[in-house]
Amino acid sequence: MGKLQKPLKRKFDANIKEKVATSTSEHKETDEENEDFLQDNEEVRENDSSDSEGDIENSDSENENYESFEEESEEDNDNLSESDAEEKDSGGEEQEASSSDEEENIEENDRQETNSKTVNTTNDEYDEYDTSDEEDIRNTIGNIPKNWYDEYKHLGYDWDGQQIIKPNTGDHLDEFLKRMEDPNFWRTVKDPQTGQNVILSDDDINLIKRIRAQKIPDVSFDEYAPWIEWFTSQVEQMPIRKIPESKSSFLPSKDEARKVSKLVHALKMGWIKTREEQAKLRAKKEPQFYMLWSTDDQPEEMRRIHKHIPAPKRLLPGHAESYNPPPEYLFDDRELKQWNKLKETPSKRKLHFLPQKYDSLRQVPAYPRYIKERFLRCLDLYLCPRAIKMKLNIEPESLVPKLPSPRDLQPFPTTLAIEYKGHTDMVRTISTDKTGQYLLSGSDDCTIKIWEVNTGRCVKTVITESVVRCVEWCPNGALSLVLVACGNQVLLINPGVGDFVVRNRTDEVLKEVPHNDVIVTERVKSTVQWYEPEPNMYEKGVRIQLNHFKMVSQVTWHGKGDYFGSVMPEGQSRSVLISQISKRKSQLPFTKSKGLVQRILFHPTKPVLFVATQRHVRIYDLLKQAQIKKLMTNSKWISTIAIHPGGDNLLVGTYDRKMLWFDLDLSTKPYQTLRLHGTAVRGVAYHKRYPLFASGSDDRSLIVSHGMVYNDLLKNALIVPLKRLQDHQAFNDFGILDVHFHPLQPWVFSSGADSTIKLYSN
Amino acid sequence: MSDSNESQLQIRLITTQDIHAVPDIPLTVPITIDTKALNKLLNQLLKESNHDYLKTKQFDFLAVNHIIRLPLNEHLQEHNVSTEATVDIEYIERTPAPEPQESILHEDWVSSIQSSEKWILTGCYDHSVNIYTHHGKPIASIKDHLEVVKGVTWIDQTDPSKGFISVSHDQTGIIWEWKEGTDVIVPKISLRGHERGVDSVGVSPNALKVATGGWDTNLKIWSALLDIDESGEPSNKKIRAGHRSTFVRTPLHTLKGHKESISVTKWVDDHTVCTASMDHTIKFWDCELFGIKNEIVDQKAFLSASWSPLSKTLLASSADRHIRLYDPRSTEGTICKSMFTSHTLWVSSVVWSNYDEHLFLSGSYDSTVKMWDTRSCKAPLYNLEGHEGQVLTVDWSNKKYLVSGGSDNNVHIFKNKHCLL
Repeated sequence: MGKLQKPLKRKFDANIKEKVATSTSEHKETDEENEDFLQDNEEVRENDSSDSEGDIENSDSENENYESFEEESEEDNDNLSESDAEEKDSGGEEQEASSSDEEENIEENDRQETNSKTVNTTNDEYDEYDTSDEEDIRNTIGNIPKNWYDEYKHLGYDWDGQQIIKPNTGDHLDEFLKRMEDPNFWRTVKDPQTGQNVILSDDDINLIKRIRAQKIPDVSFDEYAPWIEWFTSQVEQMPIRKIPESKSSFLPSKDEARKVSKLVHALKMGWIKTREEQAKLRAKKEPQFYMLWSTDDQPEEMRRIHKHIPAPKRLLPGHAESYNPPPEYLFDDRELKQWNKLKETPSKRKLHFLPQKYDSLRQVPAYPRYIKERFLRCLDLYLCPRAIKMKLNIEPESLVPKLPSPRDLQPFPTTLAIEYKGHTDMVRTISTDKTGQYLLSGSDDCTIKIWEVNTGRCVKTVITESVVRCVEWCPNGALSLVLVACGNQVLLINPGVGDFVVRNRTDEVLKEVPHNDVIVTERVKSTVQWYEPEPNMYEKGVRIQLNHFKMVSQVTWHGKGDYFGSVMPEGQSRSVLISQISKRKSQLPFTKSKGLVQRILFHPTKPVLFVATQRHVRIYDLLKQAQIKKLMTNSKWISTIAIHPGGDNLLVGTYDRKMLWFDLDLSTKPYQTLRLHGTAVRGVAYHKRYPLFASGSDDRSLIVSHGMVYNDLLKNALIVPLKRLQDHQAFNDFGILDVHFHPLQPWVFSSGADSTIKLYSN
Repeated sequence: MSDSNESQLQIRLITTQDIHAVPDIPLTVPITIDTKALNKLLNQLLKESNHDYLKTKQFDFLAVNHIIRLPLNEHLQEHNVSTEATVDIEYIERTPAPEPQESILHEDWVSSIQSSEKWILTGCYDHSVNIYTHHGKPIASIKDHLEVVKGVTWIDQTDPSKGFISVSHDQTGIIWEWKEGTDVIVPKISLRGHERGVDSVGVSPNALKVATGGWDTNLKIWSALLDIDESGEPSNKKIRAGHRSTFVRTPLHTLKGHKESISVTKWVDDHTVCTASMDHTIKFWDCELFGIKNEIVDQKAFLSASWSPLSKTLLASSADRHIRLYDPRSTEGTICKSMFTSHTLWVSSVVWSNYDEHLFLSGSYDSTVKMWDTRSCKAPLYNLEGHEGQVLTVDWSNKKYLVSGGSDNNVHIFKNKHCLL
């Protein structure tokens, strides 16, 4: 094999080498033209050494050889290479002309050429491809890097041992000129071995290009030549190689035969068994085991103790325990006395031993209590059960619910826009009409006033007989009526603002007293009497007048605007009264006193009545006349209630500073308790359109909050306090008495004890 | 110009007013130069270039289309302009301060006002409509409305003889006939059709149509002609008990679309009405096709608006302390071009000047009237003090007079010296 491979490889190597060599020698002659000194050099060599001369000739002849080869292989080569060859010839002629001495040499060359040609014809592969002799003769320094001569003026030595002076390398200017003038500059490279410029031929450049393109350098090499399968499984008739068969291939091995016979003997004697026999034996002999416990294969200690709790670590010994403690740790007399005094109760001692000083560790005596202390420690560990203390790492921030930023919850009222000034005493109650054009207010100065919302203009003032405790605009847009509770009276007043038609129709409707057959019970009669107003009252706008037997603290409309409820906190069992305008009829829904009634409220859509007593809110179904629910407020005194326009959420303000949000579907306990105010909450209100609610309190602050109720029953209401507005003046410890939202805009009104009403806009 | 330690800046002074032109040379000025120093510099330059120029004048300087109020470097920084390059500074003659003139005391709040060439028309909360001269001399007054008068307007500002219109919370409007200069005002035609109080009235530029809007959320278009026969509409003669005869006119068209009360109706051109409403929208109505042409939606209830035919932009004030400038032509993104903030309470009224596309007037509940230049967003040109209550209405229809009325029952008249020059 080795013999077979080597020539092939060498052949390939030689091909490449030869090409590089020929290319360099090809440029040799052109170089000679340019540089005289080289010629001189050569002449020197030719003259002085016959060996080197022969070398030249040899290389020349090979050069020729290559040319011929080129011509042979690529007959239809392009003109450029041919002209190159001609040039070379002409170069040769010039050379002849220049030196007559060389004529003989050339002749000799020719002869040699023919010789070499004849040699080439013989199949001596070494002669043809061996390149050991074709080193460039101008390399006078042998096979060492040229840079070793960098510091010297010379480059190697000639035959006589004289220094060969380095050729003048041109300076940058020369190089630049060359670059400009010499068309072959780009293909000129410096031979690192000789230090001379070499112009690369087209073939060299092709070669380099091919190498750079990662192709096989030899153009003639066929990469895709048909594969000849020399060594196949098929038995050839004739051997490929001439190696004789080895002896071992046809003679049986004695050593192996001996081993086999040994095994056969052992099998016969039963010394060794086949696998089948082994399995049979195993099946016969071995008893069958199985795992009784599934955890048997696990480590022993894990079976007993599931969660290992390491023994508590003892404190490391301090300075006092040292055999040579610093003097401050040694007991002085007083400390020693104290230590001795506590002999009866050793557990009270600060230290359980006396620090003692020794000069060296060697002098420390054996510790007498060692065994006992170890034993006690073991007893401690054994008798004292250890338990893992579960620690909860809760960050306080994570407990706070994530609320959206108020900026994302706009619009909501933020700035004081308009003050409604005109009342001379506390404004207890406010209300707006349906369109948000007018504001109604009732005050302790025994007046009700109607204001134009957008300008703050007081449009109308109606003087009443006593303090106005509650006013409410009729929710029915077809009626121009307001409900006023003042003293023992409830007045139905036509405010005389808004649509003429509605105003007039309201008057017309109320003029017709319905014929009433139903006998009014004594109980109701004693509670309330309906009156037509006096002419002077009618002039003021009063249309119907109801005289109650006790002071009326609150009146409220039913959503349709026909019924209204009135509250007399001192009325005992007759404290709640529901009246109907169209029939001029009143009724007492409760027969028993439920406690001190604070407020009542109609459900916005259903026939349901909310009654807030001092501590609870009771919810009644008006059709079934039955209590549905009782809300536990867990507070001492309810002040006010408001219902969400959806009807499922109730807001309760209390005198003990709380606001309670009840989700009526959720439970009878507050869904959320808001402690936003510093003092009693006096007014709460929901916005009809925007998810807003507000509360006013005696601490003069109006707090606007976001209260989003979702249609999704699974999602609880989102409550975010948004803004505290504190513009009212305190008056007799009262701050804000009532809060009311604009029906359409995100604006809120607050009425205060400082006899003003304020409008906050977004 | 100044010591070399201070960093300097190249400016070029340009102007559109020919009489004040100076040579177009770049000047190097300290970077912290303010308006005062610029004024001094410019006056010096003017004196050099023009020998007839004797009296020093005050100028306002604009860089990046905004009036310079701060030192120049801060101004440029605010508008993110490099101080490396030459800065073009435009200068305009400073609008002179309006001069307070007479004030007219009414019996009640003044809800609306409009001035014409010679007369001032006011609507009052005591249901009256009044005419004054610009010197505060009462000419005529009549109480024919049954409720608060909310809006008054001349049918033709140049010709008072064509009459005027008032609208009131008694759900009607009245077209009045007035012989110029006399105290005889005759209610000619009653506009009936609104179901709630009427808040606003606007006459079309060609004085043929009236648009009114109010709390019944409807926009109604009426004929503005005084002559009953020519209007060619169904109208019936009605004699009110003990009163002069008035004709009842019904609306030509009722345009529904607003959800809440209409606070302003203004005509953009002869066929387009612009309404601003409390339902947070401004709508542009086409009065030929009777539909909504364009709509501006914002976050707050609009209280007032004014359309400028010069700049084709809309000023609007909502229920907050800002005045916003809208460009209804821009279709994408925010159409609020700029916001003018200086008032401290709601701005009840804004009005463009009718001769300069940059000037406008605003009145606010904080009892001040402010004169603005659109190129200065943060500070007005002048504060016109004098009111002691809310300013409810301002008007600049007559370019010589800035008039305002408020809840202190007063109408204040300021003389605009800008136009007298």
